[in-house]
Amino acid sequence: MAEPASDLREAPQRAPEPALAPAAAAPAAVPKAVPPPAPEPSKATGTFIVVRDRYTIYCEKAIPSLDMPNATAYEVTDRKQEGRPLYALVVKTDMPPRIGAMRILKGLEIPHVLHLVDWGVAEWPPADRKCVIVIYHRPMGGRVMDSMGATFRRIPDHLFAKNIIKPLSEGLVELTLKGITHRAIRPDNLYFMDEARTNIVLGDCVTSAPGHDQPVSVEPIESGMAMPSGRGAGNFYDDMYAFGATLLMLSLGRDTLVGVPDQEILRRKVTVGSYATLVGEERAPVAVLECLRGLLADDPDQRWRIENIELWLAGKRLTPIQGKAEVQARRALRLGDQEFNSIRPFSYAMYVNWDKAMTVIADGQLEIWLRRQFENNEMADAVSAAIKNSLAMPSAMKGEADDVLIARVLIVLDPRAPVRMRDFRVNLDGFGAALAIAMLRRDKLTPFADFINKDLWRHAIAAQPKLSAEQQQFEQVFRDLKNYIKDTTMGDGVERCVYELNEWQFCMSPLLASQYVMEVKGILPALDNAAKSVNTKMWPIDRHVAAFLRARYAKGTQAQLDSMNDQRTERATIGMLSTLAIVQWRLGPEALYGLASWVGGLMGPVINSYQNRNKRRDLEKDIPKFVRKGNLAELYNYLDNPEERQRDGEGFNWARAEFSAADKQIYDLEHGQFDRQESAMKLGRQAGAVCAVAVMTLTLIGCILSKVM
Amino acid sequence: MKRSKFLLYTLIALPIGAMIIPTVVVLSVALVPTAVAFIMERKKGFYGGITVGALNLAGTAPYLADLWFKGHTVDAAIGIITSVLAWAAFYGAAAVGWAIYAVTPNLVSSFMAMTAGRQITTLRARQRELVQTWGPDVEIVYEPEHVKAQNAMSGNKSTSMGNQSQVAAPAGLE
Repeated sequence: MAEPASDLREAPQRAPEPALAPAAAAPAAVPKAVPPPAPEPSKATGTFIVVRDRYTIYCEKAIPSLDMPNATAYEVTDRKQEGRPLYALVVKTDMPPRIGAMRILKGLEIPHVLHLVDWGVAEWPPADRKCVIVIYHRPMGGRVMDSMGATFRRIPDHLFAKNIIKPLSEGLVELTLKGITHRAIRPDNLYFMDEARTNIVLGDCVTSAPGHDQPVSVEPIESGMAMPSGRGAGNFYDDMYAFGATLLMLSLGRDTLVGVPDQEILRRKVTVGSYATLVGEERAPVAVLECLRGLLADDPDQRWRIENIELWLAGKRLTPIQGKAEVQARRALRLGDQEFNSIRPFSYAMYVNWDKAMTVIADGQLEIWLRRQFENNEMADAVSAAIKNSLAMPSAMKGEADDVLIARVLIVLDPRAPVRMRDFRVNLDGFGAALAIAMLRRDKLTPFADFINKDLWRHAIAAQPKLSAEQQQFEQVFRDLKNYIKDTTMGDGVERCVYELNEWQFCMSPLLASQYVMEVKGILPALDNAAKSVNTKMWPIDRHVAAFLRARYAKGTQAQLDSMNDQRTERATIGMLSTLAIVQWRLGPEALYGLASWVGGLMGPVINSYQNRNKRRDLEKDIPKFVRKGNLAELYNYLDNPEERQRDGEGFNWARAEFSAADKQIYDLEHGQFDRQESAMKLGRQAGAVCAVAVMTLTLIGCILSKVM
Repeated sequence: MKRSKFLLYTLIALPIGAMIIPTVVVLSVALVPTAVAFIMERKKGFYGGITVGALNLAGTAPYLADLWFKGHTVDAAIGIITSVLAWAAFYGAAAVGWAIYAVTPNLVSSFMAMTAGRQITTLRARQRELVQTWGPDVEIVYEPEHVKAQNAMSGNKSTSMGNQSQVAAPAGLE
């Protein structure tokens, strides 16, 4: 299914697709070669697609009960194993799925994790484009909780560990061993595989970005503060927290925070801690209290790992986790109508009351509060340094500078929290997915550019008390991104950032988006296919295609892409052709009729770069021959033949010299009248004299001979 | 010329002159136009004298031949120089010489002008071919040194561009 184009078949009862047009079938005189005919568009009613010659997915038979927030569920039948319960999730096109995780999970039967049978990209008739489709083993018992607002029939305490905690933790252990974070553990993403509802499994985790669909209640404070798209891949501690929150909700039979706004949930978590927030007025079962407290510890270092659960399940009682209390100030700091005695709640309040935050920073209250009440000179100095930097910015950028200053102060006050600047809230490891989603949804990208250009990432890394190896890597990554963003030529810019950060992001070019191209070798066939429908006056390489190639295939196309950015149109055009040619030459396919025809029609500037008009006519005449072959490398070699170029240049210089010499001769002839009369006079007199002497000689000889003879 | 040399030439010329007196008599009358031509055209080279002299001599030739082969006597010479017909021949031939001398420069000038026109046409045709083959960028207008100097002095550097229309690009050419 991963090889998309060949996967799509029409329904068996329909007429078979027409055979692909052979290369030779292209009409000889028409340069626009005929690409393989497109399959008839499938109708949304009564259609199905067959993938891998095995799985029949019914476009009309949706299963709303198994829908995911970013994927729609459909019925599937397996031709090889009739009766096997399966269903397919068709991922929405504005969401980058976790392809890396899919590749690992495909075919693996991990106990207590929903079995991902297969996945791939295929033409999806209802969307009239290619989509990622994931086929799962169908859970016959349905969801554990239909939604976060639903209730769950409580399981007796003595069975809770055995029936819920143990199987799910086994699934988590396996995922941990595979190096995959689930990041979608929540009550409404757990299923019972059997109709008797005894076999519980973790649900789908690949149809959206990590943590994207998680409600704030089941996410750790730091992750919950980030915008859904910017939560990042996270780590196993985040999974443990979500597991703990899910267990707590299942043990209570409901989510106590349903209907509570996200900001309020976060405020409570920051103020009183996660466990207290999630439990609310309820009482957690004593049997699992220790486990829940361990899993919901807000300090990741104190949070239970999977080993702790295994030990706990084995009967070993562990020291109960006591939440580390925040250091309290003797004197509170006021923000708006609220007073705060500790730093983290204050920093969250600053974020929530963004427009008021500047007052406490600008008048120095915050700095003094940090120095006097917490004796935290390091933090106070960092705030002071941020203020000084902000003052150094031009006054014209005052509003922007204030936003950056607040963001920097928030980083200093709460280094574990995501970088926050108004509505933009992103963890460092979530920046890539957030950027991809924003680009797919055509959201404003300015905050992303500001995040990089204003060095917020650098301040976030510098503020970390303990720098992990991963965070150290981010420094280099973001430094590179800054360079890409600075360079606005094709192949760089924000487009390159998105492809560099998201290994499996499909090419978002409007020319190719519907064909879901994730790998370089798919680019040319997709462009070939696109040639049928797009405006062929446009270049086949736009900013997205160039950035995609630069990010995925820089080694092979670096020089060609550089040449494509040349100011001279003819060099840029030949650069575009050479980029496509080298990709075809190295990665195939052998013939690209549609694309060759498209590119051939754009070669005007290259043809005109030859001075010799006869050569131009020859090129125009010959291009259709190469188009009919569908080989871009041959077309490139023909158009940019160095010997021909040299010959043309030399010929042109020779012609200029000849023209100039002729002009000089004409000038001399036109302006040499006086000289000519003089020389004509002289020549005429000479000629007259010669003639006269000749006449005299002949006369003398004649007279003498007549007398003698 | 030194006096001794003049004497030497006189000593040689006198006996010879005495021997050819009849010829000298005829020639002294017949070659008057030649002498006039040499005197008149001496500043323009000797082509006038040569042309007139040659034809003058050609007109004299039949009478000289008669004199030499029918009796080289002073009487015969006087007979020739007193003949109106002889005079007509001598001076008529000289007049033809004058005519040739006067007409040939104009003839040659016209011929040269005709040749230059054809050459210019050929050169322009070649230039047009070059423009058709290589495009208008091939045009470089020749500018003589003195025009360049003039332009440099007057600060007008655009004459070469202004002259570009000398060779019109064929229709349809960029």
